[in-house]
Amino acid sequence: MTSRRIVVTGRGIIGACGTGAAAVWDSVRHGADGLRPLSLFSSTRYAGMPVGEVTENVDRLAGKVRGSRSDKLAWIAAREAVESAGLTGVSAGRIGVVLGATVGGMLGSEKFVRDSLRHEHARYGVLRFHECAASADLIAQQLGVTGPVLTFSTACSGSALAISAAGELIANGETDVVLAGGCDSLCRLTLNGFGSLLLLDPQGCRPFDAGRAGISLGEGAAVLVLEAEETARARGATVLAELTGWGASCDAYHATAPQPDGAGAFAAMVQALARAGVSPSEIGYVSAHGTGTRDNDLMEGRALRQLLGDTVPPVSSMKRLFGHTLGASGAINAAVCVLALEHQALPPSPGFGEPDPEIGIAPVRECRASALRHVLSNSFGFGGNNVALVFSTPETSVVGPASRLPSVDRRQPERLPCNGKLAIVGVGVVGPACGEFGAEKELSAARRRRLSRLQQMTLVAAKRCLPAQFDAGRTCVAIGTGLGSLNEATAFVENMILKDEVEPQPQQFTNSVHNALAAQVAIEFGLKGLNSTPTCHEISFEAALWHAAQELRAGTATLALAGAADELNRYAVAAHERWQLPGRTGEGAVVVALAATPTMEKPLGYLKSVWLGRYTGNIEAEAQWMAEALAGAELDVLVTDERGAVVAETLGRLTGRTIPVELYKQSCGEHYAASAFGFAAALRLLGKNERAAVYTVGVNGVKGLCVVER
Amino acid sequence: MQELMTELKQKIVAALNLQEVKPADIKDDEPLFGAGLGLDSIDALELVVMLERDYRIVIKEQTVARAAFASVRSLAAFVVEQHKK
Repeated sequence: MTSRRIVVTGRGIIGACGTGAAAVWDSVRHGADGLRPLSLFSSTRYAGMPVGEVTENVDRLAGKVRGSRSDKLAWIAAREAVESAGLTGVSAGRIGVVLGATVGGMLGSEKFVRDSLRHEHARYGVLRFHECAASADLIAQQLGVTGPVLTFSTACSGSALAISAAGELIANGETDVVLAGGCDSLCRLTLNGFGSLLLLDPQGCRPFDAGRAGISLGEGAAVLVLEAEETARARGATVLAELTGWGASCDAYHATAPQPDGAGAFAAMVQALARAGVSPSEIGYVSAHGTGTRDNDLMEGRALRQLLGDTVPPVSSMKRLFGHTLGASGAINAAVCVLALEHQALPPSPGFGEPDPEIGIAPVRECRASALRHVLSNSFGFGGNNVALVFSTPETSVVGPASRLPSVDRRQPERLPCNGKLAIVGVGVVGPACGEFGAEKELSAARRRRLSRLQQMTLVAAKRCLPAQFDAGRTCVAIGTGLGSLNEATAFVENMILKDEVEPQPQQFTNSVHNALAAQVAIEFGLKGLNSTPTCHEISFEAALWHAAQELRAGTATLALAGAADELNRYAVAAHERWQLPGRTGEGAVVVALAATPTMEKPLGYLKSVWLGRYTGNIEAEAQWMAEALAGAELDVLVTDERGAVVAETLGRLTGRTIPVELYKQSCGEHYAASAFGFAAALRLLGKNERAAVYTVGVNGVKGLCVVER
Repeated sequence: MQELMTELKQKIVAALNLQEVKPADIKDDEPLFGAGLGLDSIDALELVVMLERDYRIVIKEQTVARAAFASVRSLAAFVVEQHKK
């Protein structure tokens, strides 16, 4: 497939050091210290701790929108990005939103838990904005876009992964424009969590400094408008930079600590440079992950020296300006890279004083002009999730009649084809009743000791689907989850409130991140390819399947595990009942193994395509969407729920051919991983049918369609 | 000292949920991390919490924790020393 070039035409950014690209660049240029004593909320244990807090009134800046603090930060950045891109004249169905986020609405959810524990009136409304996916929803609703809306939660690399996924969507012609970035707000969970890991530097973070002693937390958001070159050219947009490369890898080493030799980080950077077609010596600047922890900076220094030799180009870390903004940090790094290219200047690295001989890198001290052509942006997260991005100055030929690359076929709106069938070579199911799921038999006691129940469910499902032989170095993992490890997060928060921040639970905190599931699968089987954790409500499985298929098609992986997992949580169940949502709640984990070339004589089936989008509520339009996705192929059975059955009936009426419907949720219940059970059901139905599809419509307006064939 | 070491072994097994290890199995001078018991950095942090809860000793820096947790003997010595302060 022809790969389209991707340009950056807009950027929006908000953080402790400023609101808006102009103010932020001014702070960046001067190497300002963005850290201040915490004032957003009270803390017994961490009062006065330096953090990168947004001190402007976020509610006022965001205007009349409903959402968590995180959602509002995202909206402020997205609004600026769209304005700076002058984004008009693009069909709503050809625009997507892809974000990275880690805490979502946790700041509000903490208050809910506190009120519940004190038997005070707890407002359920705040839980509507609990999920990380809510920020992308808000942007999509505000702008009225109906293309793919996805959220990735791979801890501190989430928004860099989001930018890379947006790159894939555009490069392959699946959509034309993506608002890509990330957001996170400060909250008690992360403050106490990183505190319990002894990773907070009371003096404020000092990236790459010999005396560095940890991170400073921060909050903020950054959003880039990424666009196909031809779309930007057609509407005469100003091109700020080009997204030329991205690469992702997994250490498969430890739940939180980076692999000390930096091999995983190195692999991600090599992939990014290869994709960009740029040699290491051509990199003019590196925006480092540079958190200020002993381990990260040492590892990153090693990886950079391995890649770039003794002449490492100028490096800086933005963490002293913004704090470590977790889910937003990759996007903030990326936005600063774009600003550096625009201004042709090297951002300094505040917080750095004394070089550490072990690291062997001295970051930029003063802002200075530099003819920048290619810059590298690093992000590394818990679970060894590494992502590297390359941005380049736009070619002078980009805007204008001449283009280096021929344009590709324009696809119909709102569709995400996944061309080329992929063999499904394994399926592992845990549930729908998860009382006894075989963890004792399939995982050793030593291994189980530190794993949460949801991690164990996911690992057992993964183990059941994995082929006997595979290339671990080229196997990728994508496990979607709607609520993630909410039981660990709520246990941590309850304990934190009841004990007033003493005796924290570090193990619960490290297990509470969404991507602990995919990361533990990688650790268990040594899988070093891309490691992705989409969190997209009811289509978290479909998004995982899309990402896995993407890696197989790109040739960066030969085997892919795609799945979804969610479990019951008492707050979530209470909200389900309170809001009178349909069905009874459930839980479970399903993982499927996909291969570009079958590893078995008779695969369970073939994945034909995956389609993601927004549900419009117009049944006729939805039936039309499905017809276009099927592209004339006859469907023998549609696996769906009552809402989907209505669309199938309408489609049957339009085409004059009734589509048999299989309702599957009676057996697995309602939960965010339910469609993965639908997918397993569709594979079983392939025994008697030629072609089946799973159609999912979510409460929040997400929709997905996966087509499988015998 | 011996009494304290016995007590610490029981607390380590309980705090870290080491189902297959009996307190008496832990040797006084055996490394707790890496080799030996095979514990890692997150276990160390759980022990930091245990020290705070049961001995009212607050550790704020990783380097302090790493030195104190070399073995049960060094941990006992650390507890004694902290209580003298």
